[in-house]
Amino acid sequence: MNQVGSVSLVAALAFGIYGVVAGVIGGRLRSLRVTRSAERATLAFFLMITVAVVALETAILTDDFHTAYVAAHSNKDLPVYYKIAVLWAGQEGSLLFWTWLLSIYGGLAVLINHRKNRQLMPYVVAVVLGTGVFFTSVTFFVANPFPVLNLQTAAGLAPLHPPEGNGLNPSLQYHSMVIHPPVLYLGYVGFVVPYAFAMAALITKQLGDNWIRVTRRWAMVPWMFLGVGILLGANWAYYVLGWGGYWGWDPVENAALLPWLAGTAFLHSVMIQEKRGMLKVWNIVLVMVTFFLSIFGTFLTRSGIVSSVHAFAQSNIGIFFAVFLGIVVFFSLTLLFLRLDFLKSENKLDSVVSRESGFLFNNWILLAAVFAVLWGTIFPIISKAVEDKTVTVGPPYYNKTALPIGLLLLFLTGAGPLLAWRKTSFQSLRRNFTLPVALAVAAGAALFFAGVRDLFAWMSLVLATFVAACVLQEFYKGARTRQVIAGENFPQALYNLTMRNTRRYGGYIIHLGIVLLFVGFAGLAFKTEAKAPMQRGDLLRVKDYVLRCEGITKGETPNYLYERAELSVVKDGKALGTVKPEKRLFKASQESISHVALRPSLAQDLYVVLAGDDEDTGKALIQVFINPLVGWVWVGGFVVFLGTLLAMVTSRIEREMAGIRRPVEEAIEEKHAL
Amino acid sequence: MPLAIALATAATLAVFVAFPLLAPDTEGDQLLPVDVTPLADFKRRRMVVYENLQDLEFEFKAGKIAREDYQTLSDNYKAEAAGLMAASLEAETTSHGDAWIESEVAARRARRKSAPSPQYLCPECGFENPLPVKFCGECGAKLASRP
Repeated sequence: MNQVGSVSLVAALAFGIYGVVAGVIGGRLRSLRVTRSAERATLAFFLMITVAVVALETAILTDDFHTAYVAAHSNKDLPVYYKIAVLWAGQEGSLLFWTWLLSIYGGLAVLINHRKNRQLMPYVVAVVLGTGVFFTSVTFFVANPFPVLNLQTAAGLAPLHPPEGNGLNPSLQYHSMVIHPPVLYLGYVGFVVPYAFAMAALITKQLGDNWIRVTRRWAMVPWMFLGVGILLGANWAYYVLGWGGYWGWDPVENAALLPWLAGTAFLHSVMIQEKRGMLKVWNIVLVMVTFFLSIFGTFLTRSGIVSSVHAFAQSNIGIFFAVFLGIVVFFSLTLLFLRLDFLKSENKLDSVVSRESGFLFNNWILLAAVFAVLWGTIFPIISKAVEDKTVTVGPPYYNKTALPIGLLLLFLTGAGPLLAWRKTSFQSLRRNFTLPVALAVAAGAALFFAGVRDLFAWMSLVLATFVAACVLQEFYKGARTRQVIAGENFPQALYNLTMRNTRRYGGYIIHLGIVLLFVGFAGLAFKTEAKAPMQRGDLLRVKDYVLRCEGITKGETPNYLYERAELSVVKDGKALGTVKPEKRLFKASQESISHVALRPSLAQDLYVVLAGDDEDTGKALIQVFINPLVGWVWVGGFVVFLGTLLAMVTSRIEREMAGIRRPVEEAIEEKHAL
Repeated sequence: MPLAIALATAATLAVFVAFPLLAPDTEGDQLLPVDVTPLADFKRRRMVVYENLQDLEFEFKAGKIAREDYQTLSDNYKAEAAGLMAASLEAETTSHGDAWIESEVAARRARRKSAPSPQYLCPECGFENPLPVKFCGECGAKLASRP
C-alpha cells in the first residue's frame, strides 16, 4: 500500500505539472484541444490523489503499523470512525487530505465549467493545479505519509511491524472532531477557486463582472464551510477542553477566522461591482487577501511557529509555506499592477449615505478586524524578532480591539440593508430606522432595569434587538407589498419574496444568525464558576443549582481507563437528574482528557468537569460552570448555515438574467458556420 | 497487485489526458469560445439597471424610500439605462459589434488556415469554402465528394 501511495503521489505530481503547462499554453493559444487536455489533467490529478488517500486509509483501517504514520497516530482498539479520522490526525495525513480536497474543488470547477467560461478555464486550471503541485510536493518530499518502519540490524535494515500503534491524540477522540477538520479544510482550500478565477480574469483582461458572478458561489461554499468549521472547533473546545469556554483567541482559531472575515468582506463588496460596476480593484484585492490568509492560516497551523492548543502539527514545513506565500503574493500583485487600466470604475459614489458606502464601511471594518486579529496572532513572532523574547497577547487585547469592531459590524448588519442604493435622504432614513431604533432603546432600558451592567453584553443585546428588528421589518414590509401587488396571502408572499431574490433574503437570514451568535457571546458576561473537592454525600451550591456527589467510580473500555463522578442536580428545589463528568486516560497514548458533563438549555448550560484529584484531601475535584446563552451560539451558527444554503439557490432573477448570455457567440457560430 | 493497478490507472489516465491532443480533428484546432461578447455585456449591464429600477420601485411601494428620493433615483437609473441602450444599439448596428465579430471570424479563419479541411478546398482555384458544398463558391468548379 505504501508503494501504491508513493506512486500515486508521483503520478499526481506529473499530471499537476503537465496541467499547469498545458493550461498556460492552452490559454495563450486559445486552443480548445490543449485546454481540454489541461482540464483532463485536473481530473487525473484528482484521481491519483484519491488513490493515495485510499492507500493510506487502507493502511490505517487494516492496522498496518509497519507504516510509520499509522503506528504514530492509530491503535487497534480505536473505533472505526476515529480510525477514518486518523487520516487528518497528523501532519503528513493532513497535507495529503488537504491536497485531496483541493483536487476535488479543481475537478468540480472543470466539470461545472465544461461549456462555460472557456477563456478563463485554462488559467483557472493552471492556478488550481499550481497550488496542487505545491501541496503534493510538500506531501511527497517533506511530509510523506508513506514511509515504513525499519529496524537497524547487523545484517542491515529489517522491516519493523510493531504489534500496536501509539494511538490517536485523545483530544481528537470526540465526535465533532471527526468532522471539524474536514469541514474547516473544505473552507480553507476552497478559496483557491475564486482566487484562480480572479487571476484568470486578470490574465485574460476579462475584468467585467463575469468573473465576479462566477466566483460568488465558489466563494460562498468555502465561506460557509469555514464558518461551520470554526463553530465545530468552538463546539469541540467547549465539550472537550473542559475550561468552560468555546473561544480562546488561540492563534490557530484566529488563523481560521482571518480568511473568514476577508471572505465576508468580499461577499459583500461583490454586490457593489455587480450592481454599480464599482470597486473592481478592491474586489480583486479582497479575493487575493482571502486566499493569502488561507495559505497563511495553513502556514500557522502546520508550522508550529506560534504556540497553540493545536500543537499536534509542529514541524519544519513552515519555510516552504512562507516561500510559496511569497511567490503567490508577488505574482498576484504584479499581475494586478499590470492590469490596473482595465479595472476602472463604471460609476462613482453618489452619496456618503447610501448602500454602497454602507458596504464600503463594512469592508473597512472587516479589514480592520482582520488587521487587529492578525496583529495579535503574529505579535509573538514579531516580538521574538524585534526584542528576542516571545510576548503573547491574550484575550484582554482582543476584548479591547476585536469586540468594539464586532459591535460596529453588528450595527451595520442591521443598518446597511436599510440604506438605498446611490443615495438615501433623511426622510427615507427616518422611515426605516424609527421602529428598530425605538425597539433597541426599549430593550436597552429593559436590560438596564433588569440589572445588566456589563457594557459589552448590554450593547450586544441592544444592537441584537436593533438588527433583528431591521431584518424582520424587511421581511414584513416586502411580504406586505407583495400581498398588495400580487394579491398573495402573507405566507405565500413571504415565500415568493424570498425565492425571487434568494441572495438578498438568504443574506438577511444570515444576518439573523449573526444576531443570535452575538446573543450567545453576550452570555459570557454572566458566567458563574465554582470549584470544590467532593466525595460521596458532599454538596456544592452554584447560583440556583445544588449538586450532590452520589459517588466516584472507576472502570475501563478497550480504548481507555476512566474515573467517573456521579452528581445529582437540583435546581430551585426541583430534581433534574444526574450528571456524570469523566476523566479518561487513553491506554495507547497514556494521555488523559476530561469528558465534560453538560445539561444544555437555551437559557443556560450547566457545565460540570471532573478536573482531577485534589492533592490535599484526595477527593475528586469538581468544577462547575453556569454558562448563560451559550446554546444561542450553536443555534446562530445553524441559522447562518441555512441562510447561506438559501443564498446559494438560483433565484428567479438570476434565471431571467441567464437567458441573455452569449447571444453574439451563437450568432457567429450560426452565420459563419465555423 | 495493488501497485500494478495503481500503475495501470496512471497509464490509462495519461492516455485520457493526451487524447484531445492526439485524436484526429477534422475541424482543425478550434479556438476557445468567447465568454462575454461586447454586445452581451451591454445587454447584461442594461438588465442590471432594469433590475435596480425594479428593486427601487418595490422598495418605494414598500414604503422604504421617500417620494423625492424615488424620483431622483428613478430618473438616474432611467438615464443610465438609456445611455447603455444607445451604446448597445450603436454597437449592434455599426462599428463595435460588427468589428468585433469580424475580428473574431478572422481569427478563427486564420486558425483554420493552419489546418484546412481538404474537402472544402477548391482543386481549381484553391478557395477555401466556408461550408461543406458540392461546388466551389468562388469559381463554380466541382469539389471532391465528401467521405
